[in-house]
Amino acid sequence: MVFAVVLLGAGAFFTVSALRLRRWALIGHAEDRTNDPATRTKNLLLIGIAQTKIMRDGFGGLMHALVFWGFCVLALGALEILIQGLVDGFSYAWLLPRPLFVVYVLSQEIFCGLVLLAVGWLFYRRLVIKPARFAGDPVHGGDALFILSMITVLMVTLLLTFAMEIHAGASAAGHILSAPIAMLLGGLSSDAAHVLGRTSWWIHALGLLAFANYLPFSKHLHVLTSLINTWYSNTSGPGRIGAMRPMDLEAEDAEQFGAADVEHLSWKNLMDGYSCTECGRCTAACPANITGKKLSPRMIVVKTRARLTEKATVLDAVGGGTATMEQQAVLDKNLLDDWITEEELWACTSCRACVEECPVSIDQLDIINELRRDLVLMESRFPEEAQGALTSLERNGSPWAYSAADREAWTEGLDIPTMADMVAREERPDILFWVGCMGSFDDRAKKITVAFARILQAANVKFAILGQEETCHGDPARRMGNEYLYQMLAKGVIETLDGYQVKTVVTFCPHCFHQMGNEFPDLGGHYEVIHHTDYIERLLNEGRVPLNTEHGQRLKVAYHDSCYLGRYNDIYDSPRNSIRKALPVVTLVEPPRTKSRGLCCGAGGGRMWMEETEGKRVNVERTEELLATGADTIAVACPFCMTMMTDGLTASGSEVPVLDVSEVVAGQLRV
Amino acid sequence: MKIAVCIKRVPVMEVKFAITADKSRYEETGLKYDINDFDLWAIEAALQLKEKAGTGSVHVVCVGPNAAQEQIRKAMAMGADSGALLETDTRNYDGLAVARVLAAELKDGGYDLVLFGRIAIDSMNQMTGPMVAELLDMPVVTNVFKLDINGATGRAERVLEGASEVVEFPLPAVLTIDDGLNKERLPSLKGIMAAKKKPLEVKPANLGDAAVTVRSMALPAERAAGRIVGEGADAVPELVRLLQTEAKVL
Ligand code: SF4
Ligand code: SF4
Repeated sequence: MVFAVVLLGAGAFFTVSALRLRRWALIGHAEDRTNDPATRTKNLLLIGIAQTKIMRDGFGGLMHALVFWGFCVLALGALEILIQGLVDGFSYAWLLPRPLFVVYVLSQEIFCGLVLLAVGWLFYRRLVIKPARFAGDPVHGGDALFILSMITVLMVTLLLTFAMEIHAGASAAGHILSAPIAMLLGGLSSDAAHVLGRTSWWIHALGLLAFANYLPFSKHLHVLTSLINTWYSNTSGPGRIGAMRPMDLEAEDAEQFGAADVEHLSWKNLMDGYSCTECGRCTAACPANITGKKLSPRMIVVKTRARLTEKATVLDAVGGGTATMEQQAVLDKNLLDDWITEEELWACTSCRACVEECPVSIDQLDIINELRRDLVLMESRFPEEAQGALTSLERNGSPWAYSAADREAWTEGLDIPTMADMVAREERPDILFWVGCMGSFDDRAKKITVAFARILQAANVKFAILGQEETCHGDPARRMGNEYLYQMLAKGVIETLDGYQVKTVVTFCPHCFHQMGNEFPDLGGHYEVIHHTDYIERLLNEGRVPLNTEHGQRLKVAYHDSCYLGRYNDIYDSPRNSIRKALPVVTLVEPPRTKSRGLCCGAGGGRMWMEETEGKRVNVERTEELLATGADTIAVACPFCMTMMTDGLTASGSEVPVLDVSEVVAGQLRV
Repeated sequence: MKIAVCIKRVPVMEVKFAITADKSRYEETGLKYDINDFDLWAIEAALQLKEKAGTGSVHVVCVGPNAAQEQIRKAMAMGADSGALLETDTRNYDGLAVARVLAAELKDGGYDLVLFGRIAIDSMNQMTGPMVAELLDMPVVTNVFKLDINGATGRAERVLEGASEVVEFPLPAVLTIDDGLNKERLPSLKGIMAAKKKPLEVKPANLGDAAVTVRSMALPAERAAGRIVGEGADAVPELVRLLQTEAKVL
């Protein structure tokens, strides 16, 4: 009876907490996250239940996964205990056939033991090893230790409850841990054993309720929300997954563009805040943070949650009434500036390492992008250096102030037709070679352009370029938050492409590739866009590229993954395969951070056009890492990476050359 | 404070210009247009004055083709309150004709300040501002790169060759603005949306007969490519010889 009241009280309290959290999250704007249930289920099973992301983190990850699975199994036991509180002496034995019940008991005992072992290790890690990613956790310092202690108490009391039941004569079948404990404590009088058993039971049962009610106020809220969060996470799959949120600029009544405060974010961004375990995996992978910038993707999420709590608490208190001065002061604050600074936002390279790493499928970058949009679209605030790029995009259709007439300068002596030439001859090319602004104007990148064009010619591909009709698609503007300029430029490009009825586009710039293939569809541009590494691999596989039969140089190549190719589009193999196919004697070496964990070159997210004065330079960090592999050549598949790696090598005084994948292949052409 | 800013629509310069067959003008196809850079700084100066004063208005005036409404809207997106286009299709190199049209428009406006960019980057005449001042009978300060307004007087710093000069002037006055008064702001989307609703008056302008006409136009001669004479100390005699005989700089 007493227990029934306690249970009711705890249940009511928990429901109130849960409903409050739900109400708070709905301060964010609406967003549909119910499509594609199949993928959602898959994510839930793989990332949620099978803990695949957690396991990326070696031993600690495995330990955490054990705690999680233990939780799932032990939740059954918890339910049994709670029913016992209401129906005296209840046991699953009432419902289950005997053998199944023993299996159930065994599962409880095994996981009890495993959880204790894992908790022991996690204690050890927190207290003795102290991984860097836990450092400087300003929000919930002692929280983790408190929770670990609580779990320990729950496990120990559970085992004691079982042991004392055995002591009193219950069957020991399946009780691989508590039976020995019962034996150890065999000397206890039956009265003492009864008291110990009941006390343990009460501590366990109340502990369970306390635990459940403590969660909503702790970073361990993720225990309750992470599975839900994983279900609602972005399901778009490679390519689309990195696409920025579409934005309707024509909406007449729109007054807010991007996000300055929590109500401008979506409920899912706010739910992300609830789910963050503050594990710091994201921050440990963040190129900005690694090199000493203030940006920490974890803090972006933590601050979003803290601001939501701050604001929503006051909103609740004010209700329908008028706010006091202090309350108004809190309401007048913003997530932007008062919690998250401009400086943090501009340090982001949009590399998606944080998103990739997060075990509970949080999208930190989405929040950063929305805040950047507010800065630029609402307040016209951005680093001074970025203004040059934006102005030039608007005036010249390129982030660099070059004349459109120079776009074709690289074709001199190469006989490359433009789309207009083709139309004049009443021909149609198989592909449009999209050269990109770097490929058109940057002296180093122009060599990549030529190398790729030579491969196309050698393989007899019927292709054309747009020449002077090519302009930037506006991706740099979009990444810098200037959606307006982006849409203007992108729509212009789509018009040009549609004018020529272009179907297939091949480009060697991953940013062009991603933008045109994955984000154009939102503006009505639908093309098959292929990255040159995929295209080259295809040509090589089809045997269309005439290669030298001699083996060529025995290069030792470290390939640097481009973020927009790798994490955005899941292309990791074709650059490596292309190199291997063209140069069979090559040795490919990998730095420790590679493929989906590769470190950004530092140029993404518009960083290419901004200065980097704080901390170490990202490109230097990356080149040092690549050089440490002992490679004699660094290969890239992105003109931006090319610039950053080249500069990084110069800074380290290294003479190791940087080659684009197409240059490695072109070097082997039989011409 | 009531401020008027006179702006000009000019072609974006990062293109290769072509000259028409009759050599009278540059080819207009493929050109993009924007507000003259110096006028952008004039707009920025006006907006800053208004922001500092906390009150006032910024009115933008442009003599140009119908399409110049784009430029006026951009100025409004930056923050200007209203605009007027004095529409004409003549591309006129006669500064006085333009100045007369502007002066007639501004005469009864009651402006405390009329701002111009120091120079238009396409025609490079830098005469319209001072001419308007003359026609309006107002004092003019040119090449201003620093500005302070205090009640009915202003203090401006002017750029001179290798020096600067501080001048004081009574309001109302005409100023031509130079680089240095902060970088111009880029319009925010909020500004762009707001600009659509601001008043823009379009009226025909009659420039009359031009006193000055362009007889011919030509592109500058292509610069010859650089030449590498050699490397190290051995190359010095040859270099000196070339500098003396070919380049004739020694
Ligand atoms: S996208 Fe990359 S740079 Fe930006 S916060 Fe995430 S990890 Fe850091
Ligand atoms: S956002 Fe994800 S990875 Fe980052 S601290 Fe939170 S839970 Fe960990």
